[in-house]
Amino acid sequence: MSSSNLKDLQRELENKANDLSKLQKEIAKNHQMRKKYTVQLGENELVLKELDLLKEDANVYKLIGPVLVKQDLAEANANVRKRIEYISAELKRLDATVQDLEEKQNSKKDTILKLQQRIQSLQTGKGKA
Amino acid sequence: MGSSWKSGSMGLERMSVEQLKAVKEQADLEVNLLQDSLNNIRTATTRLEIASSALHDLSHRPPGNHILVPLTASLYVPATLHDSQHVLVDVGTGYFIQKTMPQGKDYCHRKINLLKSNFDQLVDVASKKKSVADEAGVILQAKLKQLASSS
Repeated sequence: MSSSNLKDLQRELENKANDLSKLQKEIAKNHQMRKKYTVQLGENELVLKELDLLKEDANVYKLIGPVLVKQDLAEANANVRKRIEYISAELKRLDATVQDLEEKQNSKKDTILKLQQRIQSLQTGKGKA
Repeated sequence: MGSSWKSGSMGLERMSVEQLKAVKEQADLEVNLLQDSLNNIRTATTRLEIASSALHDLSHRPPGNHILVPLTASLYVPATLHDSQHVLVDVGTGYFIQKTMPQGKDYCHRKINLLKSNFDQLVDVASKKKSVADEAGVILQAKLKQLASSS
């Protein structure tokens, strides 16, 4: 009776441990995306600064594939600003997700610890009996 | 573990051997990452300085000068220099801006200064991290010796 209980607990422990490692992989992916977005945000802000320094009549070109296309300064400004807005929104979303994931991770760790303690006490109980 | 981080070097003394090992490994990892970043900045600065000196050279060439234009790594085409007063500057994310020669030189100088200040800031952070890593290593050694001599 108690040994099947033990086996159940151990299976549950395995499941929870798998869940935890899945969570940790999610968090690592989140960090990677965060890094990528932060780099892109920095680059776009540099471009915006350069564009702001230009006079109205300066020539701006955009590289689309192998083609350099002349762009309107106002249009280029608008495009870069939109990119910056989009990337900032994505970063905020990622922040919220990673907080949520970390909370889940901590609660999973607690659950696993409690399970391990129960298993330990069961095993020592069996040993004594 | 959380409070021992905040109490600085005194906290390191109170940590166990296991925790010290973890701290030292973490700090070593961070130092390596920072060193990589420092190298990247140095490479970028060198490239910008080469661009700057190329600009400087170009500004002295009169238009109509004979030049060889690279089409591939091994194919060059003879041409004449049409305009040495305008340059196209790659500002990132696929945008190019046409600037005059002095504006182009100013761009190069600005970027080089920006990179140099980033480099200095990073060097500060990296040396602080390295001192933390070294301290952790020293205390770890002392503790290990203590354990070995007491057992």
